[in-house]
Amino acid sequence: MTVRVVPRAALDAWVNDLVQRQKVYGVQLKEERFAFGPLVRAADLRLDYDVTLLPPKKYFLPQREVLSRFDRFKVEFEPVLADEPFVLLGVHPYDFEAIRQLDAIFSRNHPDAHYLTRRRNATIVVSDVETPSQDVFAACMGTATADCMDGWDVLLTRIADATYAVEARTEKGTALVGQIQGTKGAGEADLEQRRAVWDRNRDVLKKHQLRMNPEDLPDLLARSYDHPVWEEKAALCYSCGSCNLVCPTCYCFDVADELHWDLQTGERTRHWDGCMLEKFAEVAGGHNFRGGKAARYRHRYYRKGKWIHDLTGDIACVGCGRCISACTAKIANPVEVFNRLMEATS
Amino acid sequence: MRKPRIGIFDFACCEGCQLQIVNLEEEILDLLGVVTPVEWREAMSDQAEKGESFDIALVEGSITREEDAERLREIRARAKFLIALGACATIGGVNKLKNNFGMNDVKETVYGEAADMPHLETMPTKALHEVVQVDYMVHGCPIEAAELAHVVRTLLAGKTPTLPAYPVCVECKLKENACRFEFGEICLGPITRAGCGARCPSEGSWCFGCRGLVDDPNTQAAREVMAHYGKTIDDLRGKMLLFNSK
Amino acid sequence: MSEATVQNRAPAGADAPRSIYLPEPATLVDVRPMTKQEKFFRFQMARAEGMKYMPGQFAEISLPGIGECPISISSSPTRNGDGSFEMVIRSAGAVTAALHRLSPGDRVGVRGPFGTHFPVEDEFRGKDLVFICGGIGLVPVRSAIHYVLDQRDDYRKITVLFGARSPEERLFIGELYDLKTRKDVFFQETVDVADPTWGGNVGVITTLMPQLRLEADRTVVIICGPPIMYKFVLLELRKLQVANRNIYVSLERHMKCGVGKCGHCQINGLYACQDGPVFRYADISSVREAI
Repeated sequence: MTVRVVPRAALDAWVNDLVQRQKVYGVQLKEERFAFGPLVRAADLRLDYDVTLLPPKKYFLPQREVLSRFDRFKVEFEPVLADEPFVLLGVHPYDFEAIRQLDAIFSRNHPDAHYLTRRRNATIVVSDVETPSQDVFAACMGTATADCMDGWDVLLTRIADATYAVEARTEKGTALVGQIQGTKGAGEADLEQRRAVWDRNRDVLKKHQLRMNPEDLPDLLARSYDHPVWEEKAALCYSCGSCNLVCPTCYCFDVADELHWDLQTGERTRHWDGCMLEKFAEVAGGHNFRGGKAARYRHRYYRKGKWIHDLTGDIACVGCGRCISACTAKIANPVEVFNRLMEATS
Repeated sequence: MRKPRIGIFDFACCEGCQLQIVNLEEEILDLLGVVTPVEWREAMSDQAEKGESFDIALVEGSITREEDAERLREIRARAKFLIALGACATIGGVNKLKNNFGMNDVKETVYGEAADMPHLETMPTKALHEVVQVDYMVHGCPIEAAELAHVVRTLLAGKTPTLPAYPVCVECKLKENACRFEFGEICLGPITRAGCGARCPSEGSWCFGCRGLVDDPNTQAAREVMAHYGKTIDDLRGKMLLFNSK
Repeated sequence: MSEATVQNRAPAGADAPRSIYLPEPATLVDVRPMTKQEKFFRFQMARAEGMKYMPGQFAEISLPGIGECPISISSSPTRNGDGSFEMVIRSAGAVTAALHRLSPGDRVGVRGPFGTHFPVEDEFRGKDLVFICGGIGLVPVRSAIHYVLDQRDDYRKITVLFGARSPEERLFIGELYDLKTRKDVFFQETVDVADPTWGGNVGVITTLMPQLRLEADRTVVIICGPPIMYKFVLLELRKLQVANRNIYVSLERHMKCGVGKCGHCQINGLYACQDGPVFRYADISSVREAI
């Protein structure tokens, strides 16, 4: 589809109409920070947000979700799959890249119907970053802009104070954009302004500067297994899993059964888990295959820069910077760690 | 099938955790549908015969006198499964504040001239597991009613519930809270056992540490981390006194 | 309740995707005590074709309300004409403790089989086979031992070494005796710590290895045991000049989901549930978290 231009007022009118007709999740203010949440009116939508506390991953792999309902005495399980369509409004390009990576993970080899059903029901409106967050380094990871990414439905770019460029790439996206009243075709000047936003974002979304190409990470890590940085950084680690939990590409989970008061029926639920938590690799009987902090700490970086790459070809860090901000001990900066490895081995 | 018999007991505490059971509201009927309470001073008029046994004892409060210890041992002997209920019982909690002082000073401060009366005898506070074997702990000040409900249901299904081994930060992140450290506060979340669903940070307050420390808190990290936020290790220790005095 | 819970409805239509986490019904047909900690179980799937698996694979066993856990299959597909399968389960957690309380006729949920298997139809054929098992490491290996014994002519010399911590922890005592008395199997066993009833070897399993007379180039070695055992057995095998490509190990990890998603069983970049649990040692000798 061609690019259209829409005034903010028209965009707001469309959002106000959309939330009446279907489930919409958008970025809103939360405790002086931002979070995706159910949107009830356009006025609450903050497309100028810097970064959300949790990535929009939570709509595809919720913090807690029901996998099945069971009957304990009949020993029967009934699957539960979420099938409500929804619109996800204002996903930053780096977070979209993370969703694309999760799509690959959950589609390959034993596809995960719970994730994929949610994903199929989503229409994703990506919005270019207006305000860089304090720790973002998406520009170092090639995820500052969505122009070269595939799979998003709509891309929204603020090209002037109250004017947005809007482009749809999929059928779902085209249908959605078609509902916006008062758009007009973008002229060359509009497109130039949009390119200027992208150029700016590729320039400014690097509050931390990675001194290598992301593609070099698998090889760098391959020769860094015994580097002292793992022990050094992990010495301060609280094993609190914050870096895992805020990460848009982390997807480890645990499963638990919850019984109702009838002590017969209940639900099997899936919860987020994290490889930085102490018991993550423990087996029944008590042996912990990753009992040391440094081993867990290293594992996380290898997941981001090598193990996932070995699996799908993706570098599983998109440069959102959430782990840097979320880590109380301030040891979770991937850029700092990777640069450090680079120094040692170059 | 015979419904499991349950006894609810209290020692030095505010009885707020028992109140949380009452606060289950409609769910209390569900609870009574699956267990038979045989002894519960706060909510029942008829009490069990002395020496009668029960399947589950829920015990609230700390041990602060020798006769308390004796009564707890007697409860333990009658119970198949003993659950410590709330911070006073699981970690000593606020009651352990007095352990920072000499017992005579404590008595004089509280009772003044009457401090020497024999019935006011006291000893350093102990959590239940420091006196008898405790099978499970429902932490918190007060306990989370939903957690107790979960524990009871899980036990009745034939499974011992698992105590979270991870800190409150996990639940805080799941709740999508902003970190209290970012607001210049010292939060005990990184070293405190989870299970509360990050109750206090979700209400905009730092974590008071009422569920006790995780098994392996990184005390080594604390000094450097405090320095990063312009605080000292004593600032942290001060926050820990309230629930985590020795 | 989460948003997800409230809005969930099972999608209609024949092409609705199937959840990979949904257990299938099975029935416990036989259960016997084995040791203080372990019980023997035989399950039968409700589905007509029964369980189709190969030696070394595992399945996830569910008790709704308690949970799910991965258990090695201990029977050989050569002996499960009726589609049933056997397991030996140590009571070590909530699910296994609850499984120990089951009686014949009780139902369980089953997912699987999952994972790689011993190459009994490929690399094992025409080779001398040496099985080295410690403790409940015998459980998955028993499937392969039965398999090769049932097709005895396809393999050359068969050796089984078994080590238990103590005589009372020995599994499948009757079958161990059969192995000992068979003419076409060389069998040796030992216990770490003897008791007055024990007249056999005493010492860790590696003490049995110096007496092995191997033709290294036509021998395949299979190892399964507690985490600590592999290192020492591999050292002995190096002395016997067995190449890493001729060694197979079955590794224990927490295989929570079984389908390479949840992350718990990861060994560096490998998933024990999908890339394993059976690995050719040459493929993992440089994987640092493996052994």
